[in-house]
Amino acid sequence: MSKQRAAVIGVGQTKYASTRGDVSMAGLVREAAYRALEMAEKTWAEIDAVVIGKAPDFFEGVMMPEVYLAEALGCVGKPILRVHTAGSVGGSTACVATSLVQAGIHGTVLTLGFEKQSESNAMWALSLPSPFTTSINAGAGGYFSPIIRRYMAFSGAPELIGCMVALKDRQHALNNPYAHVRDKELTFDKVVESQMLWDPIRYSETCPSSDGACAMVLASEDVAEAHDGAVAWVHGTAMRSEANNYGGRNVVSPKASEDCAADVFAQAGITNPRKDIDAVEMYVPFSWYEPMWLESLGFAEVGEGWKMVESGATKFEGGDLPVNCSGGVLSSNPIGASGMIRFAEAALQVMGEAGDHQVDGAKKAFGHAYGGGAQYYAMWVVGSEKN
Amino acid sequence: MVEDSTSDVLRAPLTLEYPFTRTTGPVVGGFLTGLREGMVLGAKRADGTVMCPPLEYDPITSDAITELVEIGQSGTVTTWTWNGEPRKQQPFGQPFAWAMITLDGADTPMLHGVFVEGPDDMSTGMRVTVQWREEREGHIADIAGFVPEGQE
Repeated sequence: MSKQRAAVIGVGQTKYASTRGDVSMAGLVREAAYRALEMAEKTWAEIDAVVIGKAPDFFEGVMMPEVYLAEALGCVGKPILRVHTAGSVGGSTACVATSLVQAGIHGTVLTLGFEKQSESNAMWALSLPSPFTTSINAGAGGYFSPIIRRYMAFSGAPELIGCMVALKDRQHALNNPYAHVRDKELTFDKVVESQMLWDPIRYSETCPSSDGACAMVLASEDVAEAHDGAVAWVHGTAMRSEANNYGGRNVVSPKASEDCAADVFAQAGITNPRKDIDAVEMYVPFSWYEPMWLESLGFAEVGEGWKMVESGATKFEGGDLPVNCSGGVLSSNPIGASGMIRFAEAALQVMGEAGDHQVDGAKKAFGHAYGGGAQYYAMWVVGSEKN
Repeated sequence: MVEDSTSDVLRAPLTLEYPFTRTTGPVVGGFLTGLREGMVLGAKRADGTVMCPPLEYDPITSDAITELVEIGQSGTVTTWTWNGEPRKQQPFGQPFAWAMITLDGADTPMLHGVFVEGPDDMSTGMRVTVQWREEREGHIADIAGFVPEGQE
């Protein structure tokens, strides 16, 4: 199956904040889309199609954003598609947009993810009761904390590894002007002393609730080669899903996660992910998911991911595999956009456009998103050169 | 083995409610603020035409709307239908006409209710005027409805 090449030629983000009371949802998406078009040096008329993603409808109470947002996203007279895959939606949306270019259907596609958490309550939306099962009503943290405990038990990870990840990502966020949580005063002790919310997840080890949007312009090889600015070539995309309510699944490292990573690395010709990848943007809404995903994705041996964290290997400064140089989901979490931000930040790294959090000479970067009860996955590898 | 007896299949009620909020942004927010003050504002497009109610982005060119202008509080019915038996979820308790009304100074029509005795009092091309609610809060319902011009 031969695909045509696709590349990112524009990235646009809003400032992430707890409340963007100055703009409607249309104004929010417009801001990100406009910035992506500016970087891509494209006008609305040059966009062939629009692919958008947002968190599940209950999160904001907007059932058909693709209808409401058509004029704000310049898609009058063009196809607009919406992708649904819970928290991984930003990544899946980018993969679908890329596929439209790879299939030769469109030459220039605008893709965008967004969320206005200030207008809703994700905890409520994640805790909807079902009449036939016992509801723990604990949101995402309550769902994932026992899985983290399971990881800690089998790996023998020291109790405070999660706090190290949290401090690292929050310090990384200080280099990213778009990041929501930027706390210069945060220390390791403050992370450790922050309130325990869902044991072992402390307040400072969990993601914020953010408003924000992230957009990218994806282009065919012809369009990308004609573009004067920086380009990130897509070396591979992959998506996987698996059953959620199945007691037999490996919840710490779901098979869909392992298969998705193996697929995307194979497409990109990557045999040693830790050595071959220069920057990682990984979906880590709770600190402990960094070591867990490092193992599941193949960056570390099983049971060894926490040692990479402990050694500082995943730090922006001095690490050999910098993870979440943007500050990650732990510093900004507009849920419907969070996956796309990972993909976009990976692209910015290989474009050399990541500003103060640029990894020197990054040639290949990895973007990752997961969603639902850790049963949806979307990943891509992007490079500064064609693959 | 599952028995084929649909009468035994269980059902349970499931009621989900959440009070979402909406941020209006500068254009729609400006329109709603105008209603609170007893003014009707329209969105001026690059070609000089005016949309009321306003949209934030031009529905043809996708340009951002940057100018709101005050328009008239009377206008012309461009089409209508009679609702003789309103349901309780509908915005008006009495029989009324749903009408598309192009206000003076606007180029696009607004959907609202016209209050008359019966359908014989309605006609396309008739002139109608805003009837304001006494206590206004910045909501489309600040316009209580429309009445024939001269009967306000």
